[in-house]
Amino acid sequence: MKRHALALAVACAFTAVVAAQQPAMQPPGNPSKAAGTVLKNKAPVTKEVLKVSLPKSQEADLSNGVHLIVIEDHRAPQVFFQMIVDGAGGYYDPPTIPGLASFTASLMREGTTTKTSEQISEQLDRLAAAVGVSAGLSSPFATVSGNGLTNNLDTVLGLMADVLMNPSFAQAEIDRYKTRTRASFINNRMQPGFLAQERLSKALFGDHPLSRVAPTPAALEALNRDALVEFHKAHYLPDRAVLAVAGDISLDQAKSKAEAAFGAWKKSGASIGAQTAPSTPQRATVSFVARPNSVQTSLRVGTQSIERTNPDYDALTVANRVLGGGPTGRLFEHLREQKGYTYGAYSSFSASRITGSWSASTDVRSEVTDAALTDLLDEIKQMREVAVGDKELADTKKAMIAGFALSLESPNGILQNYVDRYLYKLPADYWDTYPARIEAITAADIQRVAQKYWSTDKLQIVAVGDAAKVEPALKKLGAYESYDAEGRPLKTTGSQIQ
Amino acid sequence: MLRALRTAALAAAVAVSGAVSLGADGAIKFTDLKLKNGLRVIVSEDHSAPTFSIAVTYNVGSADEKARRTGFAHLFEHMMFKGSENVGPGEHFTLVFNNGGNMNGTTNQDRTLYFETLPANQLELAIFLESDRMKSLDINKANLDNQRNAVQEERRLSLDNQAYGKTYERVGEQAYDNTAYKHSVIGSMEDLNAASVDDVATFFKTYYAPNNAVLTIVGDVDTKKTTALIEKYFGAINKQPQPKRPELAEPAHTAERRSTIDDPLAKLPQVDIAFVTPPAGNPDFDALDVVSWVLSNGRSARLNQVVVREKQLAVNAGAFNPDKRGPGLFQVSAQVAPGKSPADVEAALLEEIEKVKNGPIQDWEIEKAHNTAIRNQAGAVTSTLQRAIQLGEYALFYDNPNLINTRADNYMKVTAADVQRVAKKYLTKENRSVVITLPKSAAGTGSGKGGQQ
Repeated sequence: MKRHALALAVACAFTAVVAAQQPAMQPPGNPSKAAGTVLKNKAPVTKEVLKVSLPKSQEADLSNGVHLIVIEDHRAPQVFFQMIVDGAGGYYDPPTIPGLASFTASLMREGTTTKTSEQISEQLDRLAAAVGVSAGLSSPFATVSGNGLTNNLDTVLGLMADVLMNPSFAQAEIDRYKTRTRASFINNRMQPGFLAQERLSKALFGDHPLSRVAPTPAALEALNRDALVEFHKAHYLPDRAVLAVAGDISLDQAKSKAEAAFGAWKKSGASIGAQTAPSTPQRATVSFVARPNSVQTSLRVGTQSIERTNPDYDALTVANRVLGGGPTGRLFEHLREQKGYTYGAYSSFSASRITGSWSASTDVRSEVTDAALTDLLDEIKQMREVAVGDKELADTKKAMIAGFALSLESPNGILQNYVDRYLYKLPADYWDTYPARIEAITAADIQRVAQKYWSTDKLQIVAVGDAAKVEPALKKLGAYESYDAEGRPLKTTGSQIQ
Repeated sequence: MLRALRTAALAAAVAVSGAVSLGADGAIKFTDLKLKNGLRVIVSEDHSAPTFSIAVTYNVGSADEKARRTGFAHLFEHMMFKGSENVGPGEHFTLVFNNGGNMNGTTNQDRTLYFETLPANQLELAIFLESDRMKSLDINKANLDNQRNAVQEERRLSLDNQAYGKTYERVGEQAYDNTAYKHSVIGSMEDLNAASVDDVATFFKTYYAPNNAVLTIVGDVDTKKTTALIEKYFGAINKQPQPKRPELAEPAHTAERRSTIDDPLAKLPQVDIAFVTPPAGNPDFDALDVVSWVLSNGRSARLNQVVVREKQLAVNAGAFNPDKRGPGLFQVSAQVAPGKSPADVEAALLEEIEKVKNGPIQDWEIEKAHNTAIRNQAGAVTSTLQRAIQLGEYALFYDNPNLINTRADNYMKVTAADVQRVAKKYLTKENRSVVITLPKSAAGTGSGKGGQQ
């Protein structure tokens, strides 16, 4: 349950877990409160990076065209499966029902031609196993996932296959789903993080599918059984699907079990439409979302990013880590460790076949909105204007390369690397050459991608919070657009960051 | 130098070094020793990945806080990253991350935990970092003020700026009489403001002593070399008088407790019911876990099946029974569906609890509990960090790290009759505390209209 996550979230040193002492400029009249990070360099550090090689995936094709990728891990008697269906994700929603892929995925789990939703749940829960279906709102993929103890795999795979091939889309379940989803819309709008993400995605992607962070109420009301049946039939095809498997199983076992479970899922020969990239925003905007009674301002600064196969991907990964990749990033150091404005300040980015988004984020007490946003924008500016120092660059690269060892504890993480390689058609030796590629990134590379992707005319700014505290800070940036917590415009002005 | 605590069987098992982390019987092997200064040291080899995790579990949590210093144990945790004699402020996490590691610190009512996972060749670094701050924390006002700010933003982020944040605190305040568990771990703004440098120094000396902690290392390490390194870095840290444990006992409750919260950030009502339960070491506790699994583990569980799906009264509904060293809270919580009333939701939740008491409990529900216990144990095998944390907590809380191997067996023994018995014993009207949260706009009518906009 979500609220229990709240209880757990309390009282950690950091929210997220990742590099760099840094020379952030202090704006005049806003002196630092604490010295921030100081290195005494007395600790016994082993200089060498532990050389590790990623376990190789074992791969094969099923007779229906599904590509099988297996990572063996026999430490515990359990197996995790993901059937990733290319072409069944929200990118392929019809314009009339944005969110249909997500609705279809959710409702596939609510009963098949031979089993009710309850029967499926009971059969799985009894075994402490699970089967689920999900579809990203903007991604091209939907995923049918399953996991269980090794001695229950036939049951898990049988239910995965049944849910995948034979969903019944019973009207009673559709009605129930609509009621539940209407409530989830209300829940979303309580959360400042959702409101910020919704507004940033709109600023970055306009009406392109990548802008979707939740289905619309209108689409939910327009949903009917025919639309679900049609979407399922047209989009859940094995031709481009990937079955990713990690755990207590060999390739041969996985292959024979998968052939038995998914053999009836026949190749269609149909093609899927190519994805088209969103246009880039015409201008940088500033958006404010009024959330009455807020005691913090949620700040987001973002841009469109790049395709997963873009040659700048590695350089942008390193640049992002320097700026905001964790507690050693410049944002955390400046906004938390020096200024005490926030519990955390980070940046992150996604990439896909067409593009993705990059954003920096922090939540600060309302009173320091202006100072925090100034510092955040200044840190991005430093990345563009000043080359990263030798030590900071070396430390960041070492962190990334040495950190590769930790991924060996997690077969699901290793598996994801190979799934990405397959889905994005990366070179066969992509992960073998990863350390050498990261090592080759230079300070000039980082400055170049910072200038290219984080230029002032691209940065979209969003603030969610209390109007009286936030609006004076935004006014300094020039014109801005305001919205209420329901996403409705309050007033519109031509806006342009100065 | 090292005094063996555990039996020869375990020590012998460790003497045979090898690549296997599990014995022939599937059990996790470990050594368990005490340094002269009282530091308990547990090492478990696992050579399946070139990594290790270190966990230092201090025997202090928010339950140990004195009056008008709520939130202090956690604020102190933040100070542990601000430097010591040989480590600069922030250098701890800089060194861990820059060498490919991961780390964090976390505080709850019963303990404060610090952990790192690193590539196997940085073992000495991790041991050095943990020893230097146990030995010589750098305490100054600038660092305290800085982390006070960070913690106050943590409070705003997780409670004050979130719907149901007030509710989260009220549940504990109302259900407990004993002050140890009554307040939230994050503490009040007022008490955080009052915390002084002297408080930090006193707390450090009292609680951050080797004899008040358990050090656990799990992973691709050699037990002998590891214990020698631990002796080298921790051996000279002075023992302190053993701090007094807080009084955790909760007086018997004789009448239901109840209150309503008006929450301006919430858009739907919520019902929270908490029952006081025995400490996690009590024989009834694992059966109460099974009660929570019958009610809410998996989609077929009763609260979801009946209250959410069939009656459609709630958006979500769950039950949970967190481990506590002292009296725990068995909590049931549901968010009210738009247009439905909190009273109806509460009645439906209580009805499901009555059904557990009266039976029958289905065979498949017991089978689910047994399989859940087996799967939960898989985490300790596949994650060095999870194993390190579990060994440390079981050692500190119950003086029995081998619970990592035996706890699943305890669940295997739980029967349908046990489930009914503990539900009848603890999930009673006299023993319950109810908090109803209403969106502020709907609170005036008291009708809980469901907060529809």
